Amino acid sequence: MSSVAVDKKKLWGGGQSPFNLSYGKVMMWYFLMSDAFTFGAFLISYGTTRFFSALWPDPNLVFASFPWFAPNGGAPMAFVSLMTFILILSSVTMVLAVHAGHCRDKQGVIKWMIWTIIGGIAFLACQAWEWTHLYHHGAWWGSYRPGADMEPLKHYFNHHTDAALLAKEGADAAHKFFNFFFTITGFHGAHVASGVVLNIIILLNTINGTYEKRGHYEMVEKVGLYWHFVDLVWVFVFTCFYLL
Amino acid sequence: MHFSDYESDQSRLYNIHHVEDKNSSSSKAKVKKIWTVTGILAIVTIVEVILGLYGTSTGMPKWLINTFFIALTLFKAAYIVKVFMHLGDELKNMISSILIPLTLFFWFILAFLWDGSFWLWINNHFTIR
Repeated sequence: MSSVAVDKKKLWGGGQSPFNLSYGKVMMWYFLMSDAFTFGAFLISYGTTRFFSALWPDPNLVFASFPWFAPNGGAPMAFVSLMTFILILSSVTMVLAVHAGHCRDKQGVIKWMIWTIIGGIAFLACQAWEWTHLYHHGAWWGSYRPGADMEPLKHYFNHHTDAALLAKEGADAAHKFFNFFFTITGFHGAHVASGVVLNIIILLNTINGTYEKRGHYEMVEKVGLYWHFVDLVWVFVFTCFYLL
Repeated sequence: MHFSDYESDQSRLYNIHHVEDKNSSSSKAKVKKIWTVTGILAIVTIVEVILGLYGTSTGMPKWLINTFFIALTLFKAAYIVKVFMHLGDELKNMISSILIPLTLFFWFILAFLWDGSFWLWINNHFTIR
């Protein structure tokens, strides 16, 4: 946020940013917009495939396990809810770090960046557990080809499903479902992982006093925008994969 | 070394001698708003999870549950973008340049889901070789 009053007549007269924003921040916004289209394309192709399929796995049955408490199912939505809360909270600690930056409160930025990094690592750890769990149950990219044995995967489908339809289409539906699941959550996880790396760089720069010497903490804001975007994408991934 | 040279001259945008006081009432109000929005996001997520778990067993039609999910998702997204990403504080031109291109999604979603359901219809009614 800037503190300069804006005269609309002079805004496009040259010599200043017409959006009253720095180049870096404007470009971060446009990068995030293009990234939104990439994620959007993934989720829309998932939607098309789902509309095209006569049958689809029930997320309440696929994602029903929780480490230690329910390792073999029986706790639908519980683990993904925890992951969602972790990511929302790390977004909150990031916005508090940005606010501390506005106040040029170095200790505040350091404290909230450390919490944000912890949140990001916790989310990635949860995702690693969920992927490993599904992998050990046979789900991976390219698993369940058409004609595969339905016995180990029929529990992914609602038990009201017509048996003949399940035998004919079940393996193919599970195949498509997991290809999309691992691709989209993997692409999102790669964003979280690179976000954690960027957050660590920002933390080190803050500790070294780089932004104190520069006179402003705008880098915290720019990386903050990226981090909030990662949370924003998860809101949509959560809806598309676990709710709808 | 001049740090202001690092990423062009920011002096027009950042008055480095005027810094927000973290103990001021406006600063405290901002922090309070952040926690309020956190509460809203948490409550909406809990509502979504409850709907996801028990929605179908109440006899609510699936299309209605899905409408709620999409509305609540957009509600959460709006809060994240407006408050956490501070887009609500930017100039109107800047906001438009981000939001207008995203309206393309309305057509993308409509067209592709339409296509998917058309192919399902074809597959259910004809044998294609």
